[in-house]
Amino acid sequence: MNSRKKRYWFFQLGGWSVWALTMLFFAYLFEREVSVLFLYRCLFAVVLGIFFTQLLRAVIIRFNWLQMPIEKVIPRLILVMLVISSVYTISQMTIVEALNLSEKVRDPKLNIGRRFLLNSVDNFIFLTVWLLIYYAYHYFERVNKQQVDTHRLNAVVKDLELKTIKSHINPHFIFNALNSIRALVDENPERARTAITELSNILRNSMQAEKMETVPLENELNIVKDYLALEQMRFEERLKVDFEIDEDTLDQPVPPMMLQTLVENAIKHGISKQVDGGMVKIKSDFNNHQHEIIVQNSGRINGSLHNEGFGIQSTQDRLNLMFGDKAKFEIKDIANNIVEAKIILPVDE
Amino acid sequence: MTKRAIIIDDERLARNELKKLLMDYPEVEVVAEAANASEGIEKVESFQPDLIFLDIQMPGKTGFDMLAELDRSPHVIFTTAYDEYALKAFEVNALDYLLKPVEPKRLADALHKLDQVDEKEGLSTTTPTVNRGTLGEVDQVFVKDGERCWFVKLSDIRLFESVGNYAKVFFGPNKPLILKSLNALEERLDDKVFFRANRKHIVNLRMIEKVEPYFNGGLLLEIRGGDKIEVSRRQAVKFKEMMSL
Repeated sequence: MNSRKKRYWFFQLGGWSVWALTMLFFAYLFEREVSVLFLYRCLFAVVLGIFFTQLLRAVIIRFNWLQMPIEKVIPRLILVMLVISSVYTISQMTIVEALNLSEKVRDPKLNIGRRFLLNSVDNFIFLTVWLLIYYAYHYFERVNKQQVDTHRLNAVVKDLELKTIKSHINPHFIFNALNSIRALVDENPERARTAITELSNILRNSMQAEKMETVPLENELNIVKDYLALEQMRFEERLKVDFEIDEDTLDQPVPPMMLQTLVENAIKHGISKQVDGGMVKIKSDFNNHQHEIIVQNSGRINGSLHNEGFGIQSTQDRLNLMFGDKAKFEIKDIANNIVEAKIILPVDE
Repeated sequence: MTKRAIIIDDERLARNELKKLLMDYPEVEVVAEAANASEGIEKVESFQPDLIFLDIQMPGKTGFDMLAELDRSPHVIFTTAYDEYALKAFEVNALDYLLKPVEPKRLADALHKLDQVDEKEGLSTTTPTVNRGTLGEVDQVFVKDGERCWFVKLSDIRLFESVGNYAKVFFGPNKPLILKSLNALEERLDDKVFFRANRKHIVNLRMIEKVEPYFNGGLLLEIRGGDKIEVSRRQAVKFKEMMSL
């Protein structure tokens, strides 16, 4: 039996037990004693109740009334309930009469027709309560399921986003690089040849990055070096580059294209906006048993950080997804016109 | 007729590449180069070129910002590597844009288009205006309002309205703001075409559709598009004088 079915029977049996106990409680309250016959009547009422509510449920499921709009389903339900509660009452009365379960000589004024009517109203009310609980349960379950679905969808969307971000190399960069290379073909053919190699390295790596969770820092640094070499070809003396890498960190796993994205941002938002250019400095070191990667560039964070934050937001998301709270990312202005982006990763022993 | 051109791009290699491509066109003479917007403004003002090749993304100010600072915009061909966003910003009539690396065929088309525009305008813009001070009707200005940009011919502007230190420029369905005071504008505009009607407005005389007398010896001008502008009494005298000639 699956858990949904189990839960249904738990509610069904539990509900009717509560009903029976309530009857007993009131009987005891008013009559100060509970006869064996009363117990029998209760037992039959419960058995019949379960049987007829099962029937009601079968009807609801058969005609898919849970999905039907409320204004359509209510008249149908009332009709079915009237029928079921009548049949319920008739069977109940028949059993009581046949087995002679009623104790007192009844008030003769209560003829059979009135008794039927009174019992039917009672049963109709019980069925209504049952129905309300049934519908309420399904309503909450549906809301819950919708929430879960939304979360799942968000996760899928995020995953897709990450995939596209990972392979994302700014087309602006590619075309500018190609343009510079074309100019170099005459001016400095040797440099043009290396530039083509550098550009193809970057493109190849950005395509492969999609397939990998992490790469050794050394690989990532090689792309960054190629990338910066190409940017230096464009910006010439306007771009100064500096590396400060602890050799022991070269084997540490890093998410592919993450450092590259930060360096691209440093160039795009820092260097390329400054008339006199500036510097980019890349550091990697161990600090407090954590692996720290830092990208500094000249410039200042302007207010628009969040709008342009495709790179920043995605870096944050990727780290979250991969390392949870074991990784950190921050970007801020540090002293005298320098912006610093810092990634802290757990150390892989 | 040779066209005098300036190349404005922050990358030396990109400028070289374009110069090399332009060597096939003896009618285009590159008279200067600039590596950023401020240098660009300086060169444009001193050389008064017929044409500029302008990169959009540059350090400091963008190409758009630079154009908005010029009193009069020469013909502009934008050069950009990949900038959907910037190109979308363009509402109308940029002469053309070239994507880097520039395809020689596209450059030929752009220059050809330029020739056609010149023919249509009767060559009047290709002769640098001797008097640098005033802007003629055929001169175009570059207007940038937030994300949107336009090249506007002065003859298409019907009204300038003062809004604090800014002026609102009315043309077609648009009325963007430019950072220029009405007084500064009045000095630069040709007073045969643009008339200071009152403290707040300068109107294009060719756009007036109706003139009515108004209180106090003033006048009420109805301008194409339906705007009504009051002419102060003092200016009304001047207006009548000009019109009676």
